[in-house]
Amino acid sequence: MVAGDQANRLAEGFTIAVASGKGGTGKTLVATNLALLVARSGVRVTLVDCDVEAPNDHLFFRVDARTAVVEVPIPEAPAETCPSGCSACRDKCRFGAIRILGGKPTIFPELCHSCGACVQACPNGALRERQMRVGEIESGHESEGLRLVTGRLDIGEAKAPPVIRAARRAAEDEAAELTILDAPPGAACSAVATLRGADLLLLVTEPTAFGLHDLELMVELARALGLPTAVVLNREGTGSVDIAGYCDSRGLPLLARIPFDRGVAERYAKGDLLIDSHPEGGLWFSSLWQAIKSTSARTARETAA
Amino acid sequence: MKTLVVASGKGGTGKTTLSALFAHFSSQERPLVVADCDVEASNLPLALRAEVTSREAFAGSEKVVVDEDLCSGCERCLDSCRFDAISILFDGIAQVDEWSCEGCGACATACRHGAISLEPCQAGELLGGECSTGAIVFGQLQPGQDLSGKLVTSVRERAKALAEAQGAELVLVDGPPGIGCPVIASISGADGVLAVAEPSLSGEHDLRRLVTLARQLRVPVKVVLNKSDLSAEAAERLRATCREEELELIGEVPFDEELLPTLERMAHGDVSEAKPVTDIEESPGVSAARSIWERIENWLAEPPQARPASKALIQLSRTRSNGS
Repeated sequence: MVAGDQANRLAEGFTIAVASGKGGTGKTLVATNLALLVARSGVRVTLVDCDVEAPNDHLFFRVDARTAVVEVPIPEAPAETCPSGCSACRDKCRFGAIRILGGKPTIFPELCHSCGACVQACPNGALRERQMRVGEIESGHESEGLRLVTGRLDIGEAKAPPVIRAARRAAEDEAAELTILDAPPGAACSAVATLRGADLLLLVTEPTAFGLHDLELMVELARALGLPTAVVLNREGTGSVDIAGYCDSRGLPLLARIPFDRGVAERYAKGDLLIDSHPEGGLWFSSLWQAIKSTSARTARETAA
Repeated sequence: MKTLVVASGKGGTGKTTLSALFAHFSSQERPLVVADCDVEASNLPLALRAEVTSREAFAGSEKVVVDEDLCSGCERCLDSCRFDAISILFDGIAQVDEWSCEGCGACATACRHGAISLEPCQAGELLGGECSTGAIVFGQLQPGQDLSGKLVTSVRERAKALAEAQGAELVLVDGPPGIGCPVIASISGADGVLAVAEPSLSGEHDLRRLVTLARQLRVPVKVVLNKSDLSAEAAERLRATCREEELELIGEVPFDEELLPTLERMAHGDVSEAKPVTDIEESPGVSAARSIWERIENWLAEPPQARPASKALIQLSRTRSNGS
């Protein structure tokens, strides 16, 4: 029973991560349109913008949002308790975030991973931690019930993963049947922080040599993380690379093809959702949603078998 | 020697396309070194058909190894780990989840049995090669690894050393998207940032974030509006943003359907079909990029000047002091 399986999975909360190695392939386009389309069908949907360096989902919705600050602990060494001449904290820090200057530790917060190894290593119990702001989380509902959670890294801060993890935690504050994670471009730690634990990874690509190169990197990452993976081909017609053939050869379901037309780009530029403004937008995304449901039902059956 | 970074907050605005064209124009006048600092998904070597001539292992963060014979299952390591990377399973032995572990070593210090050690691990490669415009340096992080900023720094250092050795006057950097650690590593200490923006709501939003970062790092920044005719309305807004932020819009490149196929054929290595970029003078994108490159060369030739703190920077420092 495909429908029944899917209903069960949704009730437990199903998470889709929308990602790509290359930037600008259409992650946000897919995540925003899919999220609202599914929300309109009566499913409780949370869209989480995990592209905390360049969060754009909020530009497509009117949301009355609450803001919460994201902080990380950073060590500091008060002069009165920290004796000169000791370098235990510096010696334990594997990120080069502590240097001894004038006999005392100087902390470089931009290099600190907030691991606490220095605090643990200090023989005098002198190191303390203060909370340092690195970003913020906005959350709220748009008028049709879709919940949007946005992570935003403060400008000048280096480390996106703590903000991504905070956004995902904030998303869990309210139960959702479907959670859509809009991932940052790339295949490094920010992608891992977004993708881990997702039930389905949706890789958005374009039919160019660059799209394919970066898709291959993401497929490698997906395999390493053990994530069920499917592909969406965007801007079909702009390049000549055979993405469908690649998907076939790797056993990856190709769930949707969105053609390139200037109308799509113009609507996106204005901040309009395709499902509302493009004559074919509704069809593209409802077929994508159907394809996601049957693919994940199949995966679930195969896992069970 | 000058370093120019082609960057954008938003991905897919055309950084690599423009970098490839600029590298080409520049190489016709004088030697340069190009560097791809998008170490998570580097595409410039593809566009310039780089032939790799050197590979060097890049050591990432260390990874934790547990000696099962020495582990007592006491859970001290578990308590010390801030990344929830350790679990003690039914067999009573600490298990480390490599995807969560940041290699900080707190667990090794906490362990009373000497069961935990850190071992170096390879996180990627630093690559050097030759391409149609001369020397190229780039990095490839293994998917899922962290410390991309450190690899970016290695790419930049190598490119700089190479430029000095070859007497090249320019390092042209194709930067990563975003504003986080790899971007900070890419633009810190550079002589200029060329922000590539596309005319969309997202493009404008992300441009503002990148410009604020560049100004905060005190790197002069100018803007190129790419695909400028995709949305007249959004393009006009972007021009207004530039005026408002006192940003020089150094030029506009129209959406050009010829550009991508040309780059792509180059990437495929299909030489017979590949029109060299110079042969498509009549293509509007190429000629726009060429005149922009002339303006960039004049910009880079200007003596560096101390710039006052920007409005954005003042606002930022105000936000910061309120925040802490």
